[in-house]
Amino acid sequence: MAIEIRTLTAGNVWKVLVQPGDIVAEGDVLFIMEVMKMEVPHTAPAGGKVTAVYVAADQEGLDADAPAVDLEENA
Amino acid sequence: MTLEIIKPGLETSVQDWPGRYGFWNQGFPPSGPMDSWSFRLANLLVGNVVGAPALECQYIGPTLRFGAETVFAVTGADMLPTLDGAPVPLWQSVTAQPGQVLAMSFAKLGARAYLALAGGIDVEPWLGSRATFHKAGIGGVGGHALKPGQQVPLGVPAATAKAGLIVEEAARPVISTDRRWEIEVVAGPNDDWIDGEGHARFLSADWKLSGKSDRTGFRLDGPDWTFTEKALHKAPEHGSLPSNIIDQGYPLGAINLAGQTPIILVNDGPSMGGFINPYTVPQAAFWKLGQSKPGETYRFKAVSVAESQAMARSLAALCTDASILSSIV
Repeated sequence: MAIEIRTLTAGNVWKVLVQPGDIVAEGDVLFIMEVMKMEVPHTAPAGGKVTAVYVAADQEGLDADAPAVDLEENA
Repeated sequence: MTLEIIKPGLETSVQDWPGRYGFWNQGFPPSGPMDSWSFRLANLLVGNVVGAPALECQYIGPTLRFGAETVFAVTGADMLPTLDGAPVPLWQSVTAQPGQVLAMSFAKLGARAYLALAGGIDVEPWLGSRATFHKAGIGGVGGHALKPGQQVPLGVPAATAKAGLIVEEAARPVISTDRRWEIEVVAGPNDDWIDGEGHARFLSADWKLSGKSDRTGFRLDGPDWTFTEKALHKAPEHGSLPSNIIDQGYPLGAINLAGQTPIILVNDGPSMGGFINPYTVPQAAFWKLGQSKPGETYRFKAVSVAESQAMARSLAALCTDASILSSIV
């Protein structure tokens, strides 16, 4: 099943830790946003394969609820 | 009467208004809600005095469980609040039943939402205020932002507290939807350190709000500043940068020039330091800072001290029971 991970907050992208093709486990951090000088980690809701990444490190002024990472969940 | 914190959200804190006044000379900022307009109206909706302690929710809202029947209201940013899954209208008082869960999500519009509870939040005052100043670990619940599992004590509601009250449309702040804001500024205290071109550039440029902004300071990206002789040729004890000055007191809302980077000193900001403050944002414009997000653009508009005081009076006039209507429930 395809899972769409969206941004949890408005803010900047600090780090992106995955790229398309990566295999991730549930709870792995996919990318970290920064707002109010705080880190907001975004984790994989399930294990699977990263199929697309729409965010880049140092990207500024993102909206909340924007598409960030697509994941194909393990069967 | 308590509120159980299931998920705290992003630095959700207890604030009161006008906050911790009278201790700036000892380094204590006023704290309080960044958008005091939405905050005051939230309190009026639930029968509280305008300044009663309530919650400020930033960017990602909290999830809370009500311990008793409670009248509450959410104002300010739209964090898509739900009560046991059913959408909660903003700018309106609502009654929650014991055990019901209020869940707030990301800020869809604006950045800061306010949750007022009938009776307010019953925590101990510190230097006369219940506002949280987490950098000093004072006020609010244990001096810090809310944490999962905490039980937040509520006060005794006014007999008049009831559901179905609504803020008149014309009395609500209008949150920008085009990512641009016009922010009023008053010149000074150190405007004579900036040359004519520097002033013209400041007032005509687009300034982008940096992600490195919080309740201490709002950092802006924009063009470089240029200075007068006063800044360029001065006694060495002022410091090496044109924007350095012998340590001085800062006004709240100061646009503090750190080298070439302006930082607006807001509710939890520092009371003194060694940079100049060419302009000051008046308090009646703070709500716009509180509702703007990183990447959004400010354009500054110069106003006089008299105009900024008139703005504060107009805002105070809107934050009264005259703005609260009874809706048909």
